[in-house]
Amino acid sequence: MKAKITPADGVREILRKRVPRAKDLDDLPDELQLGEGGLGLDSIALVELLLECERLFRLPPPLALLDGPPLTVGLLAEHVRASACR
Amino acid sequence: MPVSQAARRSFDFLERCLSHVAEHWPQLSLSAGGHVGRLRNRLSQRWPSPEQVHTLFPSLSRHEAATVAWKIGGIEARNRILARYLEKDGDRMLPGLMPRPAPVLSRLHPPLILGFFHVGAPHALGAVFEWLPVPVLALRLGLRSPAVPTLTVLTIEGSTQQRALVFSRAMAHLRACGVVASALDFVSGPSLTVPFLGRSLELARGPFAMARLAGVPLVPLAARWYGGTVEVEVGDELVADGFSSPEICERKLATAATGWLENYLRSDPGEMGLGLLHRLVLSSDK
Repeated sequence: MKAKITPADGVREILRKRVPRAKDLDDLPDELQLGEGGLGLDSIALVELLLECERLFRLPPPLALLDGPPLTVGLLAEHVRASACR
Repeated sequence: MPVSQAARRSFDFLERCLSHVAEHWPQLSLSAGGHVGRLRNRLSQRWPSPEQVHTLFPSLSRHEAATVAWKIGGIEARNRILARYLEKDGDRMLPGLMPRPAPVLSRLHPPLILGFFHVGAPHALGAVFEWLPVPVLALRLGLRSPAVPTLTVLTIEGSTQQRALVFSRAMAHLRACGVVASALDFVSGPSLTVPFLGRSLELARGPFAMARLAGVPLVPLAARWYGGTVEVEVGDELVADGFSSPEICERKLATAATGWLENYLRSDPGEMGLGLLHRLVLSSDK
């Protein structure tokens, strides 16, 4: 039987696929920031990541997500989970 | 006080006076500012010097390089007067700078990105945007309240995430068939470097990445002074498709945009912005 992939796993899988720094890390903790001081994504890479999440998980445009506190792995996973529940 | 310092102060004073005159007679003030700036450059032989112009355009004779330097001095004086006025009074003056729509604007079919360079009259671009048939979202450093009702301004200052938010808003604006306007030669985030006038020029990656991700054309444009009013030159649509990788796609777009600018400036070197000229001259000194 195929194991069900949670939003958190899906987000981590995308990060490992797209972000060079994420590939080298054993763990991607919830509190790890996606931008400065974390995975080091620049503004364009951050938008591209969110566009891919938007496409894969059929999310609404993530403007509210960017208009909040520094984006972390956990916040993105929670956004995907909450959008899937709607 | 040395003569050069006294002369500089006198010209600064004259420009300040002209920016006050602009409140009532904008076209007269800007036109006069152009003559004052030309004279200032002719006397000082600086900002830019004929040698600096000649470095970038070696095919010009010494006299031609000096004439180009005078023109650049005149354009810069107009730009300083306009910028000083806009700082004080928002964009109230802008609509009067382009009394009629330029015919080239009918070639624009939104959604699209207008990519401009700091040449000619960049501060007056709001007057051009007023004539576009759809709302324009302008990305600039610092906020300014536009008087043009169809123009929204977002600042590209801030953290990576704040810039990503602005980028996403611009993408949403394009999805709604709007026009996004952005400088190509001002770098506040990710950049790419392309050949330009025999040297290299660092450009903002954002507008090229946006054209690629939104699947919309990027159109290079430049505003230029004509007396006290503004004209606009528009290039062909540059389309981001059929490339093997995002990097190649963005580089091709950037190279095409600077190619358009290079042709534009080779046909009229006097339209070169002083800041851009200094960047290029400094890059060639290294």
